[in-house]
Amino acid sequence: MSLPVAKIALRLRLPAAASAAAGLIAVMIAVGALFPSVGHTIGTLNVPRSVSNLLGGGDYGTITGWFRSEIAAIYGPLVIGALAITGASATTAGEEEDRILGLVLAHPVRRHRLVASKAGAIAVVVLIIAAGTWIGLVVGVAVGGGGITLVHMTALAVQLAFFGFATGALAIALGAGTGRRSLATGVAAAVAILGWLINSFAPLVSALDWLKYLSPFYYYAGHDPLTKGLDTPGLVVLGVVSLVLTAVGMLGIDRRDLRA
Amino acid sequence: MTAPPVIATSGLSKDYGSGRGLFGLDLEVRQGEVFGFLGPNGAGKSTTMRLLLDLIRPTAGSGRVLGLDTVSDSLEIRRRVGFLPGDLALYPKLTGRAMLDYLAQLRGGVDPRTRDALVERFGADIDRPVHQLSTGNRQKLGLVQAFMHEPELLILDEPIAGLDPLVQQSFHELLGEVSAEGRTVFLSSHTLSEVERVTKRLAILRQGRLVVVDSLENLRKVAVQRLEIEFAEPVGADEFRSLPEVTEVHVDGRTVTVGFEGSADAVVKAAAAHEVRAIRPHDEDLEDIFLHYYRSEAAA
Repeated sequence: MSLPVAKIALRLRLPAAASAAAGLIAVMIAVGALFPSVGHTIGTLNVPRSVSNLLGGGDYGTITGWFRSEIAAIYGPLVIGALAITGASATTAGEEEDRILGLVLAHPVRRHRLVASKAGAIAVVVLIIAAGTWIGLVVGVAVGGGGITLVHMTALAVQLAFFGFATGALAIALGAGTGRRSLATGVAAAVAILGWLINSFAPLVSALDWLKYLSPFYYYAGHDPLTKGLDTPGLVVLGVVSLVLTAVGMLGIDRRDLRA
Repeated sequence: MTAPPVIATSGLSKDYGSGRGLFGLDLEVRQGEVFGFLGPNGAGKSTTMRLLLDLIRPTAGSGRVLGLDTVSDSLEIRRRVGFLPGDLALYPKLTGRAMLDYLAQLRGGVDPRTRDALVERFGADIDRPVHQLSTGNRQKLGLVQAFMHEPELLILDEPIAGLDPLVQQSFHELLGEVSAEGRTVFLSSHTLSEVERVTKRLAILRQGRLVVVDSLENLRKVAVQRLEIEFAEPVGADEFRSLPEVTEVHVDGRTVTVGFEGSADAVVKAAAAHEVRAIRPHDEDLEDIFLHYYRSEAAA
């Protein structure tokens, strides 16, 4: 790790991370405030299973289902994935395309250490958003009348952080490995969206059920952390995938020419 | 005993395909000299510098900087070299001060007195965000970061771009001081006029290949020179074309521009046969030197 590289990468992304975390907190408080008035009404709706799966299993009638559908299935992974992917692409391939990396790497910094440092900065960005999610959950659930334990809310925030690590690491691998920002952002975002769709629809067809194991969403929320707590195997999978992808980015940038 | 070259390349090549890149560069830069590396845009100057710093890897050949291999020892090379890229880019949101602090930290710190002296010398604005700075002010920051750790070798790609004449003068003085201290400068330019005041030896690159390495003095001897002569009455081109050292004649009304190699004596004497209103010398330029060597190669 190069501390100066990690610090500057974090410093440049801190405003966006803080805004995103604050935005998530505000949304979750609003979501919590809405539950007492609309939760029971929406809970009686007959939602098709495919749509229900997309929203993390539906069940709007309980506060757990309400937050699972609103936050765990959509806002949480959307925000943390977007910030992790765009941040990781920008700090690697983006800086390379902007020709900043050419100056930085003319200094005595090893390329793989630079990538590791930037991955560390993105991990901190992810943790800030996960912490924002946790704070938002605690406040939002309280505003909504309570009903989810602190342990389960913490479990969701931790699972979400590991989901962010994995999506960010994918963008690091692609960004550092290729030096192409649009490719890194596009492919990582496509994988995340495809993973969401696979995790939602694959279980509907028994022959395709196995596909869910390819989705990062399965390891993030397949275990339903708001009800069952931490999913250690899921965290291990996401953690190992994150480390392997980061290593791929570190090796990739060592073996190629800088593009600009 | 002669000191080993600070930069030595042997058949250094980077083939990008379609004839683009650098091909078989054999070059030596000696300790303490300010060496000019000239060529038009796309000649391979920046490619050479990026190869020396291991930002890109050679497809053939090798290079040594400060006696170290450019690929296997690149970290040590980058520790001891200052680099100004031709297309300098900095973090737009950071102030100049924050940017310089960051780059200094990457080197494990620099003497703040040296940095501050350079900031003052170039009049660099370090308190505004980089995105608010003009090209020239950004270039000043680039120069400060390249010099602030007092490197043994400076690799400067088009360093004068965007600088006003006063800063150019400061820069030239600094190069002289650096050279006097025994440190080496390897600087590129696409125009001879930018480097002729500071360099004694230079190389010319064209389409990825080394055309010539020589002293500026020797290159000047072979360069085409031009005189623009304004007469009181129109004068025919043939009077000059027949002169032995004249290579080209262009007539525009009463003004005749004569290109020649070597002494101007015959041209001036031929002009003196008429009433001359003005004689304006045109400095030899890089393209003329290129053309001279092209002619030589074609004739060989």
